[in-house]
Amino acid sequence: MKKYFLILVILLLSAALSVYAVDPRELKFAPLEFKPPVPERFVTDNGVIVYFLAQKELPVVTANLLFHGGTAYDPADRAGLAEMTASLLRSGGAGRRSPEQVDEELDFTAIGIGSAASDDEMTLSMQTLKKDVSLAFEILSDMIIEPRFDSAKVATEISNRMDDIRRQNDDPRRVTRRVFYETIYTGHPYGLSPTLASMGGITREDILALHKKYYSPNNCLLSVSGDLTLDEVKEIVGKYFGSWKKSDVAISALPMAAMQYNPGVYYAERDINQAQIRLGHLCMDIKNPDRQAMDVVNFALGSSGFTSRLMQQIRTTAGLAYSVGSYNINRPLMGVFFGFCETRADAMAQATGMMLDIIREVKDKGITEEEMTLARESLLNSYVFNYDTPDKIASAAASLEFYGFPPDQLQRNVDALKAVTLEDCNRVAQKYLAPDKCAIIVTGNRSMFDKPLETFGPVTDVSMEIK
Amino acid sequence: MQKPTYLILVRLLLFLSIASCASAQDEMQFPVQEFVLSNGMTFLVVERETAPVFAGFISVAAGAANEKVGDIGTAHLLEHMISKGSQIIGTSNYAAEKDLMTKEDSVWARIDRARREERYIKVNSPEKAEAHGKYIDTLEAILDSITQQSSQYVVQNEFDVIYTRNGAAEFNAVTEQDFTSYFVSLPSNRLELFFALESDRFKHMVLREFFPERDVVSEERRLSVENSPDAKIFEQLIGEAYIAHPYGIFWEWQSEENNLSRADIQNFFDTYYIPQNITVAIVGDVKLDTVKKLAAQYFGDIQAGPEPEPIYVEEPVQTGERRLEILFDANPIVSIAYHKSAFDSPDEPSFQVIEQLLGRGRSSRLYKGLVLDKQLCSDISVYTYPGNGLGDKYTGLLCIDAYPKDGIGTGDVEKAVYEELEKLATVPVDERELSKIKNNIDAGFVWAAYSNPGLAWNLGAAQNLAHDWKYLVKYRNNLKAVTAQDIMKTAGAYLTPQNRTVATLVPKKEGTTQ
Repeated sequence: MKKYFLILVILLLSAALSVYAVDPRELKFAPLEFKPPVPERFVTDNGVIVYFLAQKELPVVTANLLFHGGTAYDPADRAGLAEMTASLLRSGGAGRRSPEQVDEELDFTAIGIGSAASDDEMTLSMQTLKKDVSLAFEILSDMIIEPRFDSAKVATEISNRMDDIRRQNDDPRRVTRRVFYETIYTGHPYGLSPTLASMGGITREDILALHKKYYSPNNCLLSVSGDLTLDEVKEIVGKYFGSWKKSDVAISALPMAAMQYNPGVYYAERDINQAQIRLGHLCMDIKNPDRQAMDVVNFALGSSGFTSRLMQQIRTTAGLAYSVGSYNINRPLMGVFFGFCETRADAMAQATGMMLDIIREVKDKGITEEEMTLARESLLNSYVFNYDTPDKIASAAASLEFYGFPPDQLQRNVDALKAVTLEDCNRVAQKYLAPDKCAIIVTGNRSMFDKPLETFGPVTDVSMEIK
Repeated sequence: MQKPTYLILVRLLLFLSIASCASAQDEMQFPVQEFVLSNGMTFLVVERETAPVFAGFISVAAGAANEKVGDIGTAHLLEHMISKGSQIIGTSNYAAEKDLMTKEDSVWARIDRARREERYIKVNSPEKAEAHGKYIDTLEAILDSITQQSSQYVVQNEFDVIYTRNGAAEFNAVTEQDFTSYFVSLPSNRLELFFALESDRFKHMVLREFFPERDVVSEERRLSVENSPDAKIFEQLIGEAYIAHPYGIFWEWQSEENNLSRADIQNFFDTYYIPQNITVAIVGDVKLDTVKKLAAQYFGDIQAGPEPEPIYVEEPVQTGERRLEILFDANPIVSIAYHKSAFDSPDEPSFQVIEQLLGRGRSSRLYKGLVLDKQLCSDISVYTYPGNGLGDKYTGLLCIDAYPKDGIGTGDVEKAVYEELEKLATVPVDERELSKIKNNIDAGFVWAAYSNPGLAWNLGAAQNLAHDWKYLVKYRNNLKAVTAQDIMKTAGAYLTPQNRTVATLVPKKEGTTQ
């Protein structure tokens, strides 16, 4: 009898084993040895810093340009100026081409050119098939060196952007994001959003002046990648950007002045059946030596998706949210840390309370050794995806120089990440996380909430009037 | 010793080459290598050494359109549930968990029955209604407590943790009308991990944490549909445009979602997630031989299943314009939809060209006409639905969304749109404009291969749609063969008032349909 029992056990065991020939958790892999190719760097006579990385696999070329300046440099009564200028480089005509001709030729050849301005930089990007590379650079350089800023197009673009401002409360997610930045950067240009008044006040002369001041070769980093040789790139850059006149750009550093929000609840009323919550505070700048440790802490807290505490507790366990997590965004002057969550209206307080508790727990008790190891391994193993296409490699190199990092900064980041200890993490969590000093933005309908907003501090009603 | 399980081995080196007059493109060649396991599962492999990474893409040829009435939402909930792990991943004690899940299911069955009876009790024995309500509450509390109990055995999100630890990027899943896709990118030395984890969840799926996840999906609906003006108008537009075909349902309804059971999910999985319905595309720094070996080892033992029925119902021809309004706390939007063809129709290529003529780029007819020249809208977009970029599996829609400028009525915008569509049907497109579209088709084809995930996605989508990845090339060639006459013919036949549905989003404060 006993014998039969044994055989049965063995049979059952082997059946279980045959289902699992391999336990995925038992597979071990060495760290990936990866040295990304290093882009070429050269500087033109008129001061353009150029990075280039060749790519022979596909007949395509990409280019990115970075300029210092950006929306944070807009005068308060002209908020939106940098953004409009960028937009009109693309749409206002260039060199010998009218706006319509630019659109038609780019569309005909499937050349993509985009332009944008964010807080601390202004950018243009271009993608083309190799066969049209001369035309692409000709139009791109005309946009930058000889933009027409056609008056009619200036009026159209401003008017369309004003229509967009009229729609700024239509999507609650957009409301939550805007109110958060306006609040957290109270008193600082980082917190300014364009208004109907500031947009309506922008003139063609303002645009010309901004262009003259910022879009100059000695304020420009250009990165190129694609199916070209270094000589070809030098020839192209010489031909299309050689005549571009240097200017005496003096871009004053932005003042650190007055980022002084009051902690508390900021309520944005929208007639929706969810509460959208974003809570956070000022945190660190891009050169803060604690940023790698903070990345590890934030990974465990909320940035890593399903493996994070915010996701596990609020989504997976409580089923309260589809979208929940946290970000630590470093900016040149001062960045932000924030948690976000979108939950059903009658779970507003429950979810907000959970988020604050989870952040508080990490601040007070730190993260676990296991969480730290997971974060470090994951960040190191996924590092390669910052460099898996040639355009990413070239533009990352340009971006480092743009923000004043040494050329080997990427390796330094990796080394710093490897060196992070649990002690570092817990010191940084204690130092930077501030659950009791959060600006808590809640978008939704307060009559549907499970508890009054006052539960979380003094409440400010944010005006939803479109100004 | 076992024989290799892959029986059919298509070892042809198939070159995805661009045979056009543009000389630069003649150089571009991607060897796409294909093999099929004996159970019918198709693998597409592109060896590419750009960086030491690869993209893995698993596409199941079934999606929301395959759901049956009563079980709408299963495809999407399954997409969530399949990441909950297996008999070993995600658990510390599967046996105990299994027991509790059986209990949960039986309590759920009682809740389900009690809820069905509730309305009849209210009508026939109102005096018992209150007690019945309490009975349901009690059952729900029991269900919660069992869920609580089983949570002690759950290793939360372990599947995700393993991928994350190994540096996974672009790790996600998506449910569309006709396809459900799972994708991830990993460092290339983790190829076996991809096979081990993916085969584990496809072979040994365990539907743990079912009831909380059902709530998560409800929350996703609130976020993605209820509170977004664009999604709300779209949901109502397609609901009105279709009266028979399942494409008319954009997103599961919460009332139905709240009544899904584990059995519904398992049933959908068993019916549609059969190996013959699955394509795996792997693009990156991998070797075909290794992929073959791993595919056989990890996926070879899945049994082929009976082929599920296709969707037979065809949308009847529309016999007159349909109009609707949606009151919403937002500025006006007007959305217009026309029934179009499916991917196997000779009209489909013209539709794909028409979509681009109307809406692609600043020089396109609607953008230039209505935004830049007439300044009636601040933005306008044109797209096909369900629209995976390769033509639609069943007859889809051509849609136009316009955002009128302040003070402009939706009627004026509509009128201007119809004038442009009328032109398509009556005036031949000139050669330069047609060349513009074809240049973009060529360029799009090249750019589609720029990233590993992009190429994997396109290969998998073509294979699942047309049962042959080479359809990618055929599709491109079909588009390039479209003539000005084809466009006039298609526009004339389909873009008519009687074939259209028009939805208008009306600001709540000034609503006209009070």
